[in-house]
Amino acid sequence: MKKLVALMLALALCMSMVVISASAEETFKIVMMVDTTVVDQNNGRDAFEARWEELHPGFDLEIIQPDHSAYYDVMQQRMSSGDWPDVLILSSTYYADYAANGALWDMTEAWENSQTKNSGRFNGDNVFEGLKIDGKLYGFAPYRGNGCVTYVKKAWMDDCGITEAPTTYDAYIEMLKAFTAKYGTYAVAAAGFVGNEAPFVNYLPEFYQDAYPYFIQQEDGSWVDGFTQDNMKAAMQRIQDAVKDGLIDKETLTNTTADARNKFYDDKFGVFTYWAGTWATNLKTNLEANGKDGELIALKPLEGLPAYYDRVPPVWCITSKCSDPQKVFDAFIDTMLDGGDCQMLWTYGVEGVHWSKSAGTVLAGTEKEKTYEDGQFHMLENLEKEGTLYTKNHIDPMLSLASFADGYYDPKEDSVKPEAKAAAELFNENSRLAAIVPATPTLSELNGELTTLKGEIIADIALGNLSVEEGFAKFENEGGLEMSNEIVASLNELNK
Amino acid sequence: MASVTSNGTIRARKKPLLKRMSKYWGFYLMFIPVLVFVAVFHYAPMFGIRYAFYSWKIIGDPKWVGLANFEKLFSQSQFSVSFTNTIVFSVVKLLLNTGFAVIISLLLNEMISLKFKKLSQTIIYLPHFMSWVVTASVFSLLLSPSNSGLINQLLIKMGVISEPVYYLADKGWWRIWYYIINVWRETGWQTIIFMATLTGIDPGIYEAASIDGAGRWKKMRYVTFPALGNTIITVLILNLAKIMNLFESVFVLQNDSVKRATNVLQTYVYYQTFNAGASADYGYTTAIGLFRSLVGLALMLICNYASKKVRGRGIV
Repeated sequence: MKKLVALMLALALCMSMVVISASAEETFKIVMMVDTTVVDQNNGRDAFEARWEELHPGFDLEIIQPDHSAYYDVMQQRMSSGDWPDVLILSSTYYADYAANGALWDMTEAWENSQTKNSGRFNGDNVFEGLKIDGKLYGFAPYRGNGCVTYVKKAWMDDCGITEAPTTYDAYIEMLKAFTAKYGTYAVAAAGFVGNEAPFVNYLPEFYQDAYPYFIQQEDGSWVDGFTQDNMKAAMQRIQDAVKDGLIDKETLTNTTADARNKFYDDKFGVFTYWAGTWATNLKTNLEANGKDGELIALKPLEGLPAYYDRVPPVWCITSKCSDPQKVFDAFIDTMLDGGDCQMLWTYGVEGVHWSKSAGTVLAGTEKEKTYEDGQFHMLENLEKEGTLYTKNHIDPMLSLASFADGYYDPKEDSVKPEAKAAAELFNENSRLAAIVPATPTLSELNGELTTLKGEIIADIALGNLSVEEGFAKFENEGGLEMSNEIVASLNELNK
Repeated sequence: MASVTSNGTIRARKKPLLKRMSKYWGFYLMFIPVLVFVAVFHYAPMFGIRYAFYSWKIIGDPKWVGLANFEKLFSQSQFSVSFTNTIVFSVVKLLLNTGFAVIISLLLNEMISLKFKKLSQTIIYLPHFMSWVVTASVFSLLLSPSNSGLINQLLIKMGVISEPVYYLADKGWWRIWYYIINVWRETGWQTIIFMATLTGIDPGIYEAASIDGAGRWKKMRYVTFPALGNTIITVLILNLAKIMNLFESVFVLQNDSVKRATNVLQTYVYYQTFNAGASADYGYTTAIGLFRSLVGLALMLICNYASKKVRGRGIV
């Protein structure tokens, strides 16, 4: 009897092992690492994961999602430990660096043969061209990086008798002078005379024009430091003149983005270059909340000036340690913009959790209360922040690089405010992608010091502490040109 | 058990270590979590020091470079500026803060109205509880060169200056305001320790001084101030050991115009890491950190020695 029981137990154990291994074979696990640009634990991540797995039978998605501000710390710790995720999201700096160091899977061929690229709905070829490093693609961006457009207060134009938005630099400067004369204040303010990250010049595009203070690749493929070019000297002269004439707020040097926004809301200035899309609505509503006229005119790039800079978007990459990168590409990346349910999930979240088409009232009992009829698309109340609604999940519908498939309901028309849509469309039609600079050991070694020196020279010239000539002489005398040349040489070395 | 030594003194014989430990096993048990905590979170990370001798950019294996990171360190002009700034900012800040804290403590101690004294104490303690980010925002507004900048407008009204000055963008003024802001924020908090010392002075000494004909000034000069002497030295010594830890107060007040002139070691490391345009070389930044730690250790040992001399006991 004992032997029989032992035999049966052994058999049961074997059977269970077979069942477990069989089920393990059926399920392919994808470990994904992402910041909080995807809904987090407090905002229905479990529902997102469950819905993704429902749409991808046979796959098990494991999400590693550190706090937003700690993402790159945690991500680097994970990479340094050797326990790499299969797929992760990276900013442009890490993307170039990790690609150069062989940490990312080359998805060029997979992308060329992908359903997304060949769907006819994809509109981001120029973005993807910009993502290529040495002709190879290592990351996938489902949306544009977005950028800034210049907004002008309509009421200020009316007060100054300006009926047409300026289309040339001269008309633009005349408008700024008219604002300054009328209101006795500066006309433009920004957060810094130069940005801390690419595309660096996006807050003062009319003054920088074609100048760019970082490394740029020329048409023949060779690299130069934009800071050492003549157009940078001309740009610095324009900025210095505008600060001296009181057209640009000299506190631009110490303004944070919040400072600049608050000054704009307080009517301290009338021309503000800020993010396209949703921010057009935010600027309008905040102006109105302050009792000011909220009507803004988004300017097209001035005649003869290059298009606005589109920030390099964060990209989804497959690590080179992934056991089956093609399978991960097909299931995870190539479905993100499938034009159907999966794109809906990545764009708006989970039905019943983040959005709904059922009749109901959202933000009940508040001033913003709104009732929807059955079948009407609407976003639901934020699970974490009472009194606010979700606006999107991972993909901003205005920046998405692919439309929904024909016949599939696209909620964008019902969920996006007209001014945001107009600003986003203007930007999309008039933007170019900021270049990705490949990582080299010399760049990594010298760029920290070089960037600090460039920042100081730009600030000193802008504030009139140095003339343009003195500023660039200082750059040379203090080792800037030497560092710059070394980095350029290391970049050109990559072309050989 | 006891034993008699050769010179005839009786010495208690120690029990074996294990026996003594078993007698107090409860204490040792309670100590284990602390020991594990210190070992895991304080000692184990120290193995990271080895990266100071490697070139390592997270991806790939670290490459042994020997002392190359230190050679680079000492050849960088920005490093020497940052190191000098760290020492100068810290020492000046320490002296100013301590000096003002002593003066304010003495003034507070002389206040007769208890209510007013408590109110004054509360007001001067409060800035300490503001974060550095908020402090920087407040002073950016106060020091603004625009019409809304209170300091500039006051100085113009008083006829001290004719044009607004952009204090935070001027390398010379930036340092002065850095010290002023630090005094404003930290002095009140430092008065606590001096006030405690003053409270502990025997009232009998003041009475005796009064009988001897001493007025308020003489009592302060000959009784109060000498009583504070040891505390002042102790505070200076204790703070001297921490002078390499300077980051937030400098970082939040910096801008492009003054960054290179005002960098301290920790902000230098920050910019080396985050302005690299690629993954920074963690070997190099670890080398800077190790150098900073060694200087901090040397300072602490000097302070410990000084403390033993002055107070009769060390700080570690």
